[in-house]
Formats: sequence, structure tokens, C-alpha cells
Amino acid sequence: MLTQLQRRLSLVFMKIFLRDRQSIFFSLFFPVIFMTVFGFVNNSEQEAIAIGVVNESSAQVAQDFISQLVSDPLFDVTLGEQDELREALIAGDQTMVLVLPADFDVSSANDSSAEIDVLVDAAQVRQLGMIMPVLEQKLLAIERSFRSIEPMFTIELEDVQARSQRYLDFLLPGMMAFTLMQLAIAGSGFNIVEYRRKGILKRLFVTPIQPRDFIAAIVVARTGIVLIQLTVLILFAVFILDVTIIGNFFAFYLVVLLGTFVFLNIGFCLGSIAKTQQAIGAVGNIVIFPQIFLSGIFYPIESMPELVQPIAYVLPLSFVSSGLRDIANEGATLLQIYPSLIGIAVWFVIGFFLATRLFVWKEVAN
Amino acid sequence: MPIIALDKLTKRYPLPDNKSETFLAVDGVSLSIEKGEVFGILGPNGAGKTTTLEMLEGLNDIDGGSASIDGIDVQSHPYKVKEIIGVQLQANEYFDNLSLVELLVLFGALYNRDIDPLELLGKVNLTEKASAKPANLSGGQKQRFSIACALVNEPKVLFLDEPTTGLDPQAKRNLWDLVKELNKAGMTIVLTTHNMEEAEHLCQRIAIMDHGKIIASGTPQELILEYAPEPPAAPLHGNLEDVFLALTGHALRE
Repeated sequence: MLTQLQRRLSLVFMKIFLRDRQSIFFSLFFPVIFMTVFGFVNNSEQEAIAIGVVNESSAQVAQDFISQLVSDPLFDVTLGEQDELREALIAGDQTMVLVLPADFDVSSANDSSAEIDVLVDAAQVRQLGMIMPVLEQKLLAIERSFRSIEPMFTIELEDVQARSQRYLDFLLPGMMAFTLMQLAIAGSGFNIVEYRRKGILKRLFVTPIQPRDFIAAIVVARTGIVLIQLTVLILFAVFILDVTIIGNFFAFYLVVLLGTFVFLNIGFCLGSIAKTQQAIGAVGNIVIFPQIFLSGIFYPIESMPELVQPIAYVLPLSFVSSGLRDIANEGATLLQIYPSLIGIAVWFVIGFFLATRLFVWKEVAN
Repeated sequence: MPIIALDKLTKRYPLPDNKSETFLAVDGVSLSIEKGEVFGILGPNGAGKTTTLEMLEGLNDIDGGSASIDGIDVQSHPYKVKEIIGVQLQANEYFDNLSLVELLVLFGALYNRDIDPLELLGKVNLTEKASAKPANLSGGQKQRFSIACALVNEPKVLFLDEPTTGLDPQAKRNLWDLVKELNKAGMTIVLTTHNMEEAEHLCQRIAIMDHGKIIASGTPQELILEYAPEPPAAPLHGNLEDVFLALTGHALRE
């Protein structure tokens, strides 16, 4: 398929890329750090919410309520006087303070309900939505045991997925898509601008090399680099961070390959338009940044504002990352991810069409 | 028959401060360069020297007239021309991370040739730098390496664009020796320069360009005889102090 010249050139570019230790380091560094940090965050228990409790009541029910709270891992309970806890709340050491007033008793007067005063700091008020239902739950449980009634409903959570899905499992395919995009766009777009700035393209132009030989060599060498770096990252994720990939590796790498071609095309377009390092930095960011946030790399597109979802779904990186994720997390086959594959194919055609129009050898070289 | 023939070669560029107007960077240049000579194109910056070379090398489109190298029309057969020329450009940077030997092998591959990189490095006196990276070469070494790269296809014509600009006197003379050696072996060399000493030292024939036109051409001797101002009848001697003293006398003043 490749001519002898293209094979030799590909090897030369491979050598050039592999010897560029600095960019290899940084393109590995970010995903590794990112996945490691999230691996730790997710493994540790969620931090307990600090609440202060002021007990001015002597009733048994107050004691029951407090012991319920203390036994819940969600809360870190501090008992104390109202004044000192109020100060702690203002200082931000407590998320909220519950005051059980002296008349907090339901045993004496069955008809009246007891009240709890809740002191909150407005700055922390966002956590209220999470805490209040739990508090109500506790009160309900106490009430039931006090009145000796069985709850009318119980909820049983049953995990239908046989394996546990961690955030890291979700993150890995997104990280791979992100890394291959960066490597591919840098490989074609940023490198072309750099070679032009140095006059290397001009020097190549005065030799009999054909532009297709140059492009083929960049594509082959860069694809090789992407495959190597992604394999390193996947091995790291699987063996060090214990990430699970349940799908077929061949299918996974096929999507990686197709995604790389899409972004190499986009890179060739950018490298042909932008004439300076600053320009490629700017247009590169225009293409890269929205995709980092909108392509469902860090969190699912479904959780984004409705307004941006239609755009988010059709970004090239979205197709690549959702395709990779379906394979890695759900064990989907290539046939099952056909919507992603069609999206990738469409972007490939668009990118290829534009690249062949924009990449004019004589103009790019000069 | 000349190896390089230019016939009313013309290049039009848009004016830098008024894009709708154009000016002629190369204005109907006709030249013929004989096989085996060192031909110099001289002129101030912006005279059109580099543009003329770039049209011959295929880097720049020809807007009018024609040019041929070794009988091949430059415009209609650019790839055939590229096979038989060697080019050293003003910018002489190369891929980082490749050694001189690897770069020469790469350039050989571009011409589909297996070359002996050490032999080429020997020719330009860089054998001991074989495994160095271009970034670690001095200015003179870089220029000599550029010439080595231009020699991988054993070109019939070698183009050198301001080869000694920015070099110290030793490196400059060293490069002149290299050019003379290559020429002695039969290579036609076309160079641009604004160093008159270089032109006089190296070139068998010279063309002087200004504002896109050739304003004079010939051997250095012919040009000097024709255009150098006549020496004054009596050579200048003395200085202003002599004038002052002659006018005001030698007597001491109070």
C-alpha cells in the first residue's frame, strides 16, 4: 500500500516524534495525573458533613434522635452550646447547627409536633437540599419506632449490572479520546506550522517529494505514536488503577484508529490555514476547547444543559468518546455502536474534503 | 548551449501597502548561464535576486516569460527540474532530533537514492560532526551542511542563496574554498550575494540586479573597466589640519 519512499519517510517521522521526549512526556503526564487523582478521590469515602447539635431538651426522644445522627456516616456530629456552635457555623467549621429546644418532646403532648431549629450559613445553603431529606428520614424512623408502626414502603436497591461501575471506568475511554485528539491535531497541524516556520517545508519542496508522500508519512508515523501512547495509558489504567475494560480490544483500537484519522485531517486543515505559531494556537484552541467540555469526556452529555446537548452530540470528539465508552464500559460490538461510527465517518469525509482543498503543497511550503 | 536560460522572466507581487496594486519584483529578466561556471547575481536587498532563484527552483510561480534548466522548461516540468538541481536556501534549519547522517540519508531518500552520508560529510569537512544535531553546529558548519544536503542528488546546477551572510571571515573563506572545489569538479553554481569581495573572488560572471531588472552583467574585470569611476588625476593627500594650517599660518597666537 505504501511506496518504499513513504515507508522510509514514515520511519523518519516516527524517529523524530519518538525523540521528542518533552512532548511525549506531557501528552502522557496529563491523562496519568488526571486519572490517578480521580482514582483516589473516588476510592476514599465521601467526607462527612459537619453538623453541630445543641440539645436543650431532656426528653428521651431527643437522645434517640442524636444517637441516630451520630451513627450515620454521612454526618460528623459535634454536641455543644448554642453560642459556640453558632460561631463555628459562622467560621465555616460547621455546615449547619440543629437546636433541639427545651420543649422538644413528643411523649407528653401527642397531638403537637416537636420543632427543631436549623441554623445555616447561607454560603453553605446548597448542601441543605442533600441534608434535609436525610434529617427527615431520621425523624421518621424515630417516630415509627416510638409509635411502633412498620413503614408502609421500603425501597430495595438492586444493581442490575453485574460489575461495579466506577467513575474511572467511565473516565478512561473519554481520556483516550481526548489524548488521541490532542496527539493527532498536534501531529499534523502544529507540526506543519513549525516545519514551515523553520523553512523545512520549503527545503522539502525543492526536492522531488510529492505532497502525498509527505502526508502519508505524517499520518502513518503519527498514528503509530497515538497507538503506542494510548497503549501505555491503557496498561497504566488497567494494571495500576484497576480500571475495567470489558469490550473487545480490537474494536476499541479500530475506533481509536478512525478517530485519529479524523483529527489528523482536522489538523492538516488548521495547519494549512494558520501561518504562525500564535495563529495555530488560537485556532487549535477554538477546535479543542469546546470539545473538551462538551464531548462527554468528564461527565455524560445527558447531564448538560438541554440547550447545548444537540451541539454536543454531533462534535467529532463526542462520537469517538461515546464509541470508545460503549465498547469499554458496556462491551458493545462494532455493530452496536454504528451511530458513533457513522458520525466518525461523516467527520472523516468533511475533514478529508477540506484538507485536500486547503493543503496546497506550494502554498503550505512557502 | 547555456545550461540555464531565462527569457523575459517576470514576477508580479501585490504592493505591501496597497494590495490592489501590483509591482514587478522581477521585471523581464533575460540571462544565460553557461555550463561549468560560477555565476553571481548581485544587488541590494529587495532587488529580486531571491525571487529569481525561487522561480528557477519551482518555489515561485512564473508570471511571465520562461526559464529552462538543462533544456527542461521549469514551468511545465517542475519535478524533472527538481531532480537535477541542488538548492541551499537562506533558512537552514532542519528537523530537530535527527543527526547529520540521518538527515542526509533522509534527503537521499527524497531523491530515491541510497547515498553514503559520510562521504558527503567528508566533502564539506564535517566528518567529525556525523552524529551531531544541526542545532549544535556553528553558522559556517550549518552552511556547509546545507550544501552537503544540496549535493545528495549529484545536481547539475547548485543554487546558493547568500551562502556567506552572517559568517565570520574564516568560515567565509572556508566556504569559498568549498564552492571553488565543487566548481573545479565541473558543477555549475549560481549564487546570490551582496558581498562584492565574494563576487570578485568566486564568480566567473556576474549580473547586477536592481528594482527587478538586470542593470549590468559580465565578468568582474569587464564590469570594473566599464563602470568603476576613473581614478582622480592627482591622488588625495593631506588632511583638514594641513588645510587649516596652510590658510592660517604656523605662527603661535596669544
